Amino acid sequence: MSTFSPRKLLLAVAAPVLALVVAFLVTSAILLLLGDPVVEVWQTILSWPKPRQLVQIVNGATVYYLSAVAVAVGFRMNLFNIGVDGQYRVAVFAGAAFAGQAWFPGPLNVLLTIVVAMVAGGLWASIAAYLKVRRGISEVISTIMLNAIATGVVQWLLLKVAVKQQGSNSISTKPIPESSQLDGLGLIPGATNKVYTLILLAVLVGALYWFVINKTRFGFDLRATGRSESAAVASGVKVPRMVVTTMIASGALAGLIGMPLLFGQDHSYGTTFQAGLGFAGIGIALLGRNHPLGIAAAALLWSFLDVQSNALQIRAGVASEVVFIIQGVILFAVVIAYELIRRADVRLEQQRVARELAATRSDAPTPEGATA
Amino acid sequence: MRHATKVAAVVAAAALGLAACGSSSDNTPAGSNTSAGSTGTQAAGKKIVVGIAYGVGGRGDQSFNASAAVGLDKAKADLGVEFKEATQVNGESEAATEERLQQFIDAGATHVIGVGFAYAKAIGTVAKANPDVKFAIIDDASPDSAGANVAQLTFAEEQGSFLVGAAAALKSKTNTVGFVGGVATDLIKKFEAGYIAGAKAANPSIVVKSQYLSQPPDFSGFNDPAKGKTAAEGLYQGGADVVYHAAGGSGSGVFTAAKAAGKLAIGVDSDQALTATPDVRDVILTSMIKKVDVAVYDFLKSGAAGTDITGNKVYDLKAGGVDYATTGGKVDDIKSKLDDYKQKIIAGEIKVPTAP
Amino acid sequence: MVGRDVLRPGPTNHPPGLLSGPGRGVVAITAAPARPDGTSDAHPAVQLEGITKRFPGVVANKDIGFSVARGTVHAIVGENGAGKSTLMKILYGVQRPDEGSISIGGRVVDLHSPADAIAAGIGMVFQHFQLADNFTVLENVVLGAEKLHGIGDAARREITRISDEYGLDVDPDALVDDLGVGARQRIEILKVLYRGAKIIILDEPTAVLVPQEVDELFDNLRELKSEGLTVLFISHKLDEVLSVADSITVIRRGTTVDTVDPSSVNARQLAELMVGAELPTPQTEESTVTDRVVLRIEDIVLAGAGAGRNVLDGISLTIHAGEVLGIAGVEGNGQAELVEVIMGMREPTSGLVFLGDTDISDWRTREIREAGVAYIPEDRQRHALLLEAPLWENRILGHQTEEPNVRGFIINAAGAKADTERIVKEYDVRTPSINVKAGSLSGGNQQKLIVGREMSHQPKVLVAAHPTRGVDVGAQSSIWDIIRQARRDGLAVLLISADLEELIGLSDTIEVILRGRLTGTFDPDTVTAEDLGAAMTGAAANPEETR
Repeated sequence: MSTFSPRKLLLAVAAPVLALVVAFLVTSAILLLLGDPVVEVWQTILSWPKPRQLVQIVNGATVYYLSAVAVAVGFRMNLFNIGVDGQYRVAVFAGAAFAGQAWFPGPLNVLLTIVVAMVAGGLWASIAAYLKVRRGISEVISTIMLNAIATGVVQWLLLKVAVKQQGSNSISTKPIPESSQLDGLGLIPGATNKVYTLILLAVLVGALYWFVINKTRFGFDLRATGRSESAAVASGVKVPRMVVTTMIASGALAGLIGMPLLFGQDHSYGTTFQAGLGFAGIGIALLGRNHPLGIAAAALLWSFLDVQSNALQIRAGVASEVVFIIQGVILFAVVIAYELIRRADVRLEQQRVARELAATRSDAPTPEGATA
Repeated sequence: MRHATKVAAVVAAAALGLAACGSSSDNTPAGSNTSAGSTGTQAAGKKIVVGIAYGVGGRGDQSFNASAAVGLDKAKADLGVEFKEATQVNGESEAATEERLQQFIDAGATHVIGVGFAYAKAIGTVAKANPDVKFAIIDDASPDSAGANVAQLTFAEEQGSFLVGAAAALKSKTNTVGFVGGVATDLIKKFEAGYIAGAKAANPSIVVKSQYLSQPPDFSGFNDPAKGKTAAEGLYQGGADVVYHAAGGSGSGVFTAAKAAGKLAIGVDSDQALTATPDVRDVILTSMIKKVDVAVYDFLKSGAAGTDITGNKVYDLKAGGVDYATTGGKVDDIKSKLDDYKQKIIAGEIKVPTAP
Repeated sequence: MVGRDVLRPGPTNHPPGLLSGPGRGVVAITAAPARPDGTSDAHPAVQLEGITKRFPGVVANKDIGFSVARGTVHAIVGENGAGKSTLMKILYGVQRPDEGSISIGGRVVDLHSPADAIAAGIGMVFQHFQLADNFTVLENVVLGAEKLHGIGDAARREITRISDEYGLDVDPDALVDDLGVGARQRIEILKVLYRGAKIIILDEPTAVLVPQEVDELFDNLRELKSEGLTVLFISHKLDEVLSVADSITVIRRGTTVDTVDPSSVNARQLAELMVGAELPTPQTEESTVTDRVVLRIEDIVLAGAGAGRNVLDGISLTIHAGEVLGIAGVEGNGQAELVEVIMGMREPTSGLVFLGDTDISDWRTREIREAGVAYIPEDRQRHALLLEAPLWENRILGHQTEEPNVRGFIINAAGAKADTERIVKEYDVRTPSINVKAGSLSGGNQQKLIVGREMSHQPKVLVAAHPTRGVDVGAQSSIWDIIRQARRDGLAVLLISADLEELIGLSDTIEVILRGRLTGTFDPDTVTAEDLGAAMTGAAANPEETR
């Protein structure tokens, strides 16, 4: 990330491309094995999306992007916030309940709702942070448990505050006032639907994430802790405080995940609100290597696969869940490929250093005795 | 190293999650069932192309969605409609739901049916965007889905549940009966409410134990036979000897548990003594039939006749939209009592509650 | 069996005698037969020829050759970083040589993995024990070798038999957790014997032992030898080597220097072989000690885990400006914890730390570093570097709040990079660029970068733990120069080292630490390494001054 070099770029692109190829082959093999129409499946998935679907891809990616950034913040310091899923549900519920009250006029209501959601997500995440720092409980375990608890809590609260429409079987929070609904941006020509206004929020979050992680002292401490906790401690990083701060930041970002959906699509939180976004974020952050642009590419890919797979049942007669296989295989392949390429990178650089040193001091004896 | 291991663990966990999601497609043999029924197009009336969007569980759930499929198949045979079908993915976004309906229209559908209230908003939105296409939504009568080109088809599930509740109480020897709900939604609570009321009506001292498999927004409870089995086992061990399930595809687990315990179960939506896997059919006391097939068929028939149904249509006992099943003959001895209740409900003498 | 595939007949066209000579790096050993006579007994147990192993940036082993006679204890000595460990890893199949051959009992072997080595009869006892504490001796021994004698009574009988035969005194049913260090080491030896090893490699076996345990170990080794087993003994402790080995091979800077008979050399001569003719002595110039106290530690106590004894037990120290205070001690006697307490990384149970007149006991690591305490940690890869980060980011590490690394809350990459270039020049860090990862550099260059970084913030105190461990001789002398310069500049230096020569050469005062207590103060001008060694193990009857 520090310096640009063609070699680095090549290595960075090689892994995802490799993973896509592997995913293509494995999925084809599975389809063949099951006797499903392989050609139709790929034709459907790889066909150029209609403008309407392009909007859906961008919208889906917006939500995924926020989720993956929330996860990535933790990943950068080796903190595994598996609880983004629970955090965003608690947050979007809190936000939707708040926004539905319409205590404030239009845009201010949106702004304050976003704040409320971030606070709710952060607070929920702080439970896991507290457990890790004070009680030594792995955040992986506690956040998974908190996801289950979040489901129960949100459902219980939803039943308390829900407004039930006559004749409806679903329940949801009070819809947000029309003045606070965000109509969307007509970014894609020829589409009747619109891109979420809050894509701007995702862009802002991405830029801030990049800046804070790479350019600030806090970001340096965070990355140092991720690379070597022992070295970070020796350098003066207060790791417990970093854990708390990062976990809460991750939770607050998780609080944003549902906002584009709330203001641009659902207008309330109810039983049909999109689920599982936090888990998707984990995979997308891995695929995007926690890099703001990498995550954007991964989120678009994920969303592309989601939208394109929708037509599978109708056009190819194959359950659209096949896309889960593709996504799963991509993840597996990419994680393996990244590790292989990371090792290759380290080796190549060590050899390059050795070569360049040998070249500059060809008269000097062996540079070192031993590493052992 | 530690980092790598951890990441691997997370990925594995994520993959397991995906695998779990993916496995739900096992019960959705969409591939084998999707067929453009082009055989009966010579039938009279308008040419109808149906896009039917099933809820989670799909055509193969032996229950709610299966019932809709029966109506569709009948329409294909009688009216020569063509159809395309698709199934909802658990936890998907509203946009994905809408897109599914839109895809049907892109593929030439003239009539689009959303099976289940999860399609309510999407039907409302897509119906507005496609005024020339006719829509039907099952189990929703809210303003969300309302529109000039929308038929809202709902059922009085509590009335049917009342009857099977009475049957359960009359058949129970342990004075305890059970209820397994798929997902704790208001809709399923309607089933529970009717069931309890029916059981209490037949036997005021009866104990009714209820159990739900999942909480919204987790809808896996409609499609998780293992969970259904566990819940039913718990109820049987707790003394219940008849268990009524309103759990869609999870119901097969309830039947398995009943078979293993040598107790009775009550099916839902379809006449499950006919649709369940043959080896468990003998444990099915009766079924609360929710005639989704009738609603679907009516909708398509009226479409073929050019007199499309719009607005809310309630299928209750009176309209023959709900009923109890007599297949297997296990309720023959109490049939007169059940029919008595039925008449009283139709006559309005018994008001069945819709919330427990 | 793997072994059969690995073993193949040795080359017949290269009898050892013809290969001997300095040019080939092979040194004939007196105990080994001069020429092969065809029987396996006549072959040396182990013979290495022209072993070369290159790592990125370094040649760890270069043309190493020697042979080890059957039934002997053969020592391999060399400084830290001379390449001993790499050589042992090659012998144990952990790493493969780039060039050269290994013969076991006259047959050339190709070792791809430790399993191959075990099949060839080579066993390894690592410096750090590989035992599961919550298992019994029996369970530990059979772990991974369940196929040999099962896990039941047959295994127990075999363990008892080996224990009796070699006098190892091991109870198969004892819980490892209850056993001392010496006993654990004997279990490790038993483990390799159980697996059929005829050649046993011991890597720095005495580093963790107290003197009596060392004696017991040596008795065991003699027992093994008399039973016909061959022992390869790696150490840098010359006295021990001289007392136990039948033959000694000296390794310096990755290659074999000589193989000598212990009866014909003394420790001094051996040391000169180890470090080369131009033995760099860390000689301090005249005293620069002032009476201005810079770092003062008062009665530091650090309780051990559970009911164990205190890890640090009433440590008090005073270091003046211009003074180097050396701490001598066998590793694991509280040095690492003392450093962590001073650096604020560990909360002492009681006691105070003063920087000048300021009580810094409650300060956090960052504040302490900002106040001018430079820190060279003992384990540079774990505590001083981000191996996967570029050099310039490593220059920021530890000084994240200080110029020129930051401007307010923002990282000043340009400033840090420019200053890294300066450090690389001034401290002779050999690297093609400041953008390469720290992990790509050799140990010595890593350490020079660390030292350069730490000296770049006008420190008042330098805490240096094993600053020259594992670095080459060139880097060692430049680091010594830097420490001397720091002393001249009026820093208070706390020097912790296992290298007694280094301590004696650099320190103004030497304190000996033993079991968490300071047990003696020595004047480096008069003390010998032998005196210190005795004090470190608690064997000294009367140090000059006792606390």
